Amino acid sequence: MGQSDLDGQIEKLRKCELISENEVKELCRKAREVLIEESNVQRVDAPVTICGDIHGQFYDLKELFKVGGDCPDTNYLFLGDFVDRGFYSVETFLLLLALKVRYPDRITLIRGNHESRQITQVYGFYDECLRKYGSVNVWRHCCEIFDYMSLSAIIENKIFCVHGGLSPVIGSLDQIRTIDRKQEVPHDGAMCDLLWSDPDDIEGWGISPRGAGYLFGGDIVAQFLQHNNLDLIARAHQLVMEGYKLMFNNTIVTVWSAPNYCYRCGNVAAILELDDKLNKNYKIFEAAPQDVRGLPAKKPAPDYFL
Amino acid sequence: MNIEETEDSLYPIAVLLDELRADDVNFRLNAIRRLSTIALALGVQRTRDELIPFLDESIDDEDEVLLALAEELGNFCEYVGGKEHAHIILGPLENLAAVEETLVREKAVESLTKIAAVLSQQQIEDYYIPLIKRLGSGDWFTSRTSACGLYAAGYQNATPSSQEDLRSMFKALAQDDTPMVRRAAAANLGKFAKKIPKEHVILDIVPLFSKLAEDEQDSVRLLTVEDLVAIAEVLSKDECKNYLLQTLRSMVSDKSWRVRYMIAENFVKIAKAVGDEVTRENLVMAFVNLLKDNEAEVRTAASGQVPGFAQYVDKQTILSHILPCVKDLVTDTSQHVRASLATQISGLAPILGKEATTEHLLPLFLQLLKDEFPDVRLNIISKLEQVNEVIGIELLSQNLLPAIVELAEDKQWRVRLAIIDYIPLLASQLGVTFFDEKLGSLCMSWLGDNVYSIREAATINLKKLTEVFGVEWAKTTIIPKILEMGTNQNYLYRMTTIFAITTMAPAVTPEVIRDHILPTVNSLVSDPIPNIRFNVAKSYEVLIPVLRQCSETAVLLETQVKPALDKLRDDPDTDVKYFAEKALLAGK
Repeated sequence: MGQSDLDGQIEKLRKCELISENEVKELCRKAREVLIEESNVQRVDAPVTICGDIHGQFYDLKELFKVGGDCPDTNYLFLGDFVDRGFYSVETFLLLLALKVRYPDRITLIRGNHESRQITQVYGFYDECLRKYGSVNVWRHCCEIFDYMSLSAIIENKIFCVHGGLSPVIGSLDQIRTIDRKQEVPHDGAMCDLLWSDPDDIEGWGISPRGAGYLFGGDIVAQFLQHNNLDLIARAHQLVMEGYKLMFNNTIVTVWSAPNYCYRCGNVAAILELDDKLNKNYKIFEAAPQDVRGLPAKKPAPDYFL
Repeated sequence: MNIEETEDSLYPIAVLLDELRADDVNFRLNAIRRLSTIALALGVQRTRDELIPFLDESIDDEDEVLLALAEELGNFCEYVGGKEHAHIILGPLENLAAVEETLVREKAVESLTKIAAVLSQQQIEDYYIPLIKRLGSGDWFTSRTSACGLYAAGYQNATPSSQEDLRSMFKALAQDDTPMVRRAAAANLGKFAKKIPKEHVILDIVPLFSKLAEDEQDSVRLLTVEDLVAIAEVLSKDECKNYLLQTLRSMVSDKSWRVRYMIAENFVKIAKAVGDEVTRENLVMAFVNLLKDNEAEVRTAASGQVPGFAQYVDKQTILSHILPCVKDLVTDTSQHVRASLATQISGLAPILGKEATTEHLLPLFLQLLKDEFPDVRLNIISKLEQVNEVIGIELLSQNLLPAIVELAEDKQWRVRLAIIDYIPLLASQLGVTFFDEKLGSLCMSWLGDNVYSIREAATINLKKLTEVFGVEWAKTTIIPKILEMGTNQNYLYRMTTIFAITTMAPAVTPEVIRDHILPTVNSLVSDPIPNIRFNVAKSYEVLIPVLRQCSETAVLLETQVKPALDKLRDDPDTDVKYFAEKALLAGK
């Protein structure tokens, strides 16, 4: 598969059109070669723009690019949860993956708790693949790629980025580096916690209501930052109505990038732009208006008559 | 040899026929989609003798397959041997027109109508009319519903006595016990009326229309609105008044808002069909009532009809009756009403003329421009051109410019985008002095906007402005400011500089590129951020053909561009290398 094939596929995916099953297979093969080289704590250079959950909201992802700039011109780091819940998980994930293969240095994708066989069978990605391709092959190829995706990233040795949060069995970044990540997300342990945990206004560790991962307090964050000589943890995983939320004296931030989550939550979304000096600029954006979405705009009038 | 060849050519057909019997619905669906291929290979005789009877049997399939079959059969005329055999297709379609699934029936009716259009009078009499009779007297409402859609297509080609039959059969369907059938009759009455001579319309169709328009079900009544338009188009103005006016009057004040909505939605068409006199005398107050309706949906639909309806009444009536309603709608509680009005209200300007527009409409525009709902603001901005044509740019800008400038900083980026799109037009009419004074700094500020799409639109805007005001203006006014941004701390804004000069390059002269643009691009070759460096490479790719245009600047390709690209080709970053290679290749 040459660069021009790949450019053609990116063009198609940008228009929310599917690529063929064979092309998906080939894309995943290439992606595997790229992702296998990445560390569990992938190094990312500033400037970069950090994005949270997308959840298959393709047209809102396009809105994100309209506000933040296109890839590769702007560098991006996505914190996982590309699939499930939205209408276009397939197109969303494949577009991001194709961009990753085409511009590996310009975009970083790390794994979220929804990048998992078990979760996607419940929350929509599996069904969507089956519906759009008539078989589960595409879902299988994608799940295999999920296993290769990095678990976290570190920007200029100062900002630690992860989908969920911290783990009681992990004190240093080196401990993350020793995880064998090429597997389905386990039900417990370090890898599970990184993808499932949430910060909370408690001291120490707490039981997570999600049934996986932990709750962790400001003291845990402070210890982790000090021990690893870091300034900030950037994570996603939790809906924030205002798009982003700083906690514990600005030592951890939640970034959420799915506006009007599930097409009904009414929240705004945010991305975090870091310049090369790590200056922060949060950008808020709203859901794409109806007329730029692919679905035929729901005309209120005729519906009354059905 | 010959036999073998025939068998070979028949083989794919055997496969297809097999697929029609396959268990997997996808196979059957594919086979149906290739039905014309089968028919073509079978020849017209075997298609008539074997394929059509086979399709007649296969009627018991999934709705999806039936829908595809109903569609294919509509285009099957040539495969059964042309017009004179076309009636043979009616058989399977008749079955399809009686199935339960609405989509299949509707498609079958559509295809039957297509076939009916090519039938001779004899075929209509022998096959089509008996088919209508069978469907129309079916036990289930499904087939009777389908029958309603078939009358219009067969009528004109039938003998006078059959025509009389058709009219009376349709009458029976319009009085059917099931509302579904009456609904189908109402939906098709207008089409039927268009095919019938006027005296029969008055005699037979108008009474049916009046009856359906008073039906106890509002879902039937609302369908008669379009019948009203169709019938009125057939009748003379006097006849409209005599036969339709009373029904129309009760429809505009129907107790169901859905009926009033349909009336409001079709108001301009109705006014046009019934003519000036009836409109002036009877419809003005009706329209006013719709604009004041209790339901926001009705007001939304009526707002959309304002300028269209205004064409049919005199200016005094607009000012005394319609404009007061419009003033109220500008502050309507429903944002959808205001959004609909904002799209349409500027259409009143050409009708009212300069003086009345300035006096009455401009204050309303100002109010809508300040509406809290972004769609309202967006709709009004995108239609300002119409107003401009009537009152002239000077008046428009005096009155609206402050509001426009305010919107240029709107927190919704799509509103800002709409303003940017409007700027080149505004610029060409304001002239350079006025523009520099009032809008110049605004255009530059968009280059530093927080939202990428606005920065992108801003660069395109500057290119268009250069085309309007000329290169000399660009050189002194905007280029220095763009180049200044090339030293911004943030890489995204330095990138805007590159985008802007690359976008503008085709609009300026090679000298400007040499003296102003190229030095800046060159200076960014060693930018610390790779994203800037590969955009520099992309920029060179665009600049090369422009530089090549004149011999004075062509030398720069060797002395400046090539060394820079060579340097970029050896960059440690893969993407910088890639785009540098690409530019070098394009430069050869």
